[in-house]
Amino acid sequence: MPQTLSTREANLFRTVIRYYEDKQYKRGLKSAEQILKRNPKHADTMSMKALILNAQGKTDEAFALAKEALTIDMKSYICWHVYGILYRTNKNFDEAIKAYKFALKLEPDSHQIQRDLAVLQVQMRDYQGYIQSRFVMLKARPQVRQNWTALAIAYHLDGNLQQAENILTTYEKSVTTTPPRTDFENSEALLYKNSVIAEMGDHQRALEHLETDCKNCLDRLAVMELRASYLAQLGRKEDAAKAYRALLDRNSEHPDHYKGLIGALDIPADDEDSVKAVFDEYAAKSPRSDAAKRLPLDFLSGDRFRTAAKAYLTLMFDKGVPSTFANLKHLYSDEFKKETLPAMAKEYLDEHSGAAGADAKANGDSSKGEGAALYFLAQHYSYHMSRDLAKATEFVDKAIELDPKNVDFHMTRARIFKHQGDTAKAAEAMDHARSLDTRDRYINSKAAKYQLRNNENEKALATMSLFTRAETVGGPLHDLTDMQCIWYLTEDGEAWQRRGNTGLALKRYHSVHSIFDIWQEDQFDFHSFSLRKGQIRAYIDLVRWEDRAREHPFYFRAALDAVNLYLSMHDKPQYGANGVEGGHANGEDAAERKKAAKKAKKEAQKAEREAAEKAAKQDPNKGASSAQKSKDGDDAKKKDDDPNGSKLAATADPLGDAMKFLSNLLQYSPGNIEGQIAGFEVFIRRNKYLLALRCLKAALSIDKEHPKVLDQAVRLRKALDGTMGSLAPKAKEVIESELSAVPGA
Amino acid sequence: MDIRLLRASDIPLIQHANLENLPENYFLKYYLYHALSWPQLSFVAVDASRPLKTPYDYPKIVGYVLAKMEEEPTDGIQHGHITSLSVMRTHRRLGIAEKLMRQSQLAMVETFGARYVSLHVRVSNKAAIHLYRDTLGFKTEKTESKYYADGEDAFCMKLDLDFIREQLREQEDQPEEEVEEEEEQGNKDKKKKKNATGGEDVDEGEAVGDVGRDPAKAGTGKGEQKFKVKVGRALGVGELVEKVESKHS
Repeated sequence: MPQTLSTREANLFRTVIRYYEDKQYKRGLKSAEQILKRNPKHADTMSMKALILNAQGKTDEAFALAKEALTIDMKSYICWHVYGILYRTNKNFDEAIKAYKFALKLEPDSHQIQRDLAVLQVQMRDYQGYIQSRFVMLKARPQVRQNWTALAIAYHLDGNLQQAENILTTYEKSVTTTPPRTDFENSEALLYKNSVIAEMGDHQRALEHLETDCKNCLDRLAVMELRASYLAQLGRKEDAAKAYRALLDRNSEHPDHYKGLIGALDIPADDEDSVKAVFDEYAAKSPRSDAAKRLPLDFLSGDRFRTAAKAYLTLMFDKGVPSTFANLKHLYSDEFKKETLPAMAKEYLDEHSGAAGADAKANGDSSKGEGAALYFLAQHYSYHMSRDLAKATEFVDKAIELDPKNVDFHMTRARIFKHQGDTAKAAEAMDHARSLDTRDRYINSKAAKYQLRNNENEKALATMSLFTRAETVGGPLHDLTDMQCIWYLTEDGEAWQRRGNTGLALKRYHSVHSIFDIWQEDQFDFHSFSLRKGQIRAYIDLVRWEDRAREHPFYFRAALDAVNLYLSMHDKPQYGANGVEGGHANGEDAAERKKAAKKAKKEAQKAEREAAEKAAKQDPNKGASSAQKSKDGDDAKKKDDDPNGSKLAATADPLGDAMKFLSNLLQYSPGNIEGQIAGFEVFIRRNKYLLALRCLKAALSIDKEHPKVLDQAVRLRKALDGTMGSLAPKAKEVIESELSAVPGA
Repeated sequence: MDIRLLRASDIPLIQHANLENLPENYFLKYYLYHALSWPQLSFVAVDASRPLKTPYDYPKIVGYVLAKMEEEPTDGIQHGHITSLSVMRTHRRLGIAEKLMRQSQLAMVETFGARYVSLHVRVSNKAAIHLYRDTLGFKTEKTESKYYADGEDAFCMKLDLDFIREQLREQEDQPEEEVEEEEEQGNKDKKKKKNATGGEDVDEGEAVGDVGRDPAKAGTGKGEQKFKVKVGRALGVGELVEKVESKHS
């Protein structure tokens, strides 16, 4: 039977809760112990103690105690609530939901439990559950607008647009006084409703609603953009044109506005002059607009293109705009434009070298004029579609001669070395560029990146440390990991992999994976935050993006690297053990690698030792204000028991470990052929022929000519011929029929 | 180049641009906090012309302005604040930073009724100071010593936004047809004035680096304290801000 407390102890119990809420964990524990001394089986106190232990980072102890408390008193909602919180803080949201539901059953009127449960449900995308929770919450407090909005959101996310709109309308009707124009929450709620109507595809009604209810909404840009797009979709061209003009007056650098205007003006696509005239109008109206001058190059052809290109390049070179090439290289898919642009640049060069060039020099800025044209041509010959590295070198050298301290020129010189395959020279040249402007982090980052491409992990980290925060415990790498610097982690991992250090390579790829976990969890707080802020459209945008965040190329690259590394670990088991690749096939190369790997391991050990020392020197009682210790027990949670990835590298089941990455690649980026190819490789090694076949088919649907895929088809056929006997007849039948449709198999 | 409003999906590459360009960095969540509190105020410049390599390519961010409203202004006046502004070194001299700033300033007035906008800038960052003071019209309020983590001082700059309010009022007072012409005229006038002051050809030159970095302020203990946000108290978003703030203290 559950124990009951005396009045004095009941009061003490309340102080335990208060101490916990105020994060005074030591005092809280002390008070809890006091109660438990007299009532050792008081389940609620045990639970509260568990909660405090958890906050201090003693997760295992906390779970054990909370479980014990539950076995003593299964009917205590506090015990279930605590159990739910434990799971929630340890990110096991599914289990947390279960515990919360028990708690709620025992205490159906608890607003807090209901609210926590609702957040967990939307986090886990249990929209049915979320609708139910929000419905209960609305019934409890219908006077609060947020509760109506929240229920609408629940329906909206679940795909029930009509019901979402109804809920919003019901609330609006219940309000008797018109909210003031400056009521931000109201303004956003109206625009949110408008977005729901538009999502139903009823543009007519959306437009009417926008023009009446949203007339005074405070987000003017949204009102203008929505209106223009509704008008366009309704074919009201004259009004649409006007609306797009108003948008262009506001921002002449947004290509969509031009597109909208041109569409509304009914100009035939092949009437280049008329389309160009629209852009010219805005180029005249907003002389500083780049888009108005550059966008016509996309559609103009022949002499019209030549004239416009000449004018644009002249302007850009005169101003010395460094991004000129980057902004035009997409035109190279057109053979004529690819020929014309460099020809125009050379023309400019002929006209401006010598006397005019001297003018620029007199102005003290030789990155303009001649220098800019040389720079353009150097990039042109360095670009893969128009590559001639000897010419590129020639032009970049000329540019450097003109302006020896120009960072951009030296950066391009480094890139040319990279394209020549000389990573050492490239790294050196980029570091030289860095030395010309040591206050600029951009060039610093580039220098580090090139060092990594040259397998100089240690040097790169030293370069990065010039801009990382000095006081971060664990040094620059920790800072970069904390700050979620994905590009560095990925490049560092790839360099370690090339050096044969499997452990550190895996470690970095796993770090990237964890960052995406953090990003997914980051949305948690916003489920309630956004309701209070009232920015519902932005919130919906976030939730939808979070659902596909792992499609991001940042994730894809690191995950694909990891899968491929696990594959080679499987194929060559000597990779594993100490995390450093062992004997490699051909003599010299292998010896070289071994040496490098040994050195790398030594250095990594040294770094680890140093980090440990540094951490030890930190006074654990000091610096509560420092970011490293934002709350009790943070340190305990942060401790990394495998800093060099030795445990990761020592895995006995690399293919199993690869699945963590592969499943995300296949789920979030099924249209990327590289993921499907890697999937096939993993599945065929695991004898999962149906899954291998699925990857193969997906790859073929993306590119049926891909040589690797064709090779895989042959391999699958061979593998099946060898093992068909052992397969279930049904599976055999399916695979046979599917495979027969695959060419070459 | 495409200058447009920030979207949630842009954030990883905004964070990337920030990490690549500036020494003051933030967790993704801090960007989310801006994007979900004042989504109307932050803008990006994206390189829209890059050919797509996969169906999952994200547009490359070559510049961004991350802006906010001061939640509890000490002076009691509604105002905006620029947390961070950056343009890739490779994309300078196109006026991107200025254009981003102007979009944000306009929205601050329209959506949140801001009276002024404030920011911090390193005293050594000549290019950025030139942009704020000469091109955009900011005034230096004061110098905050050792504002930055590395010990550098910051200028605290301010721009009165009443001129935007004025423009909006004028537009509103006029029937639609006239507005267009008037505006055209107005633009020309502005341009003329600019030419006269030599503002037309302003280029950003070097780094238009970090200007925001409220964070360091939390540690100085004076001025605005940013994290008492009623909004985040119960939930850890307050905590989040607090964390980021103290990070630089």
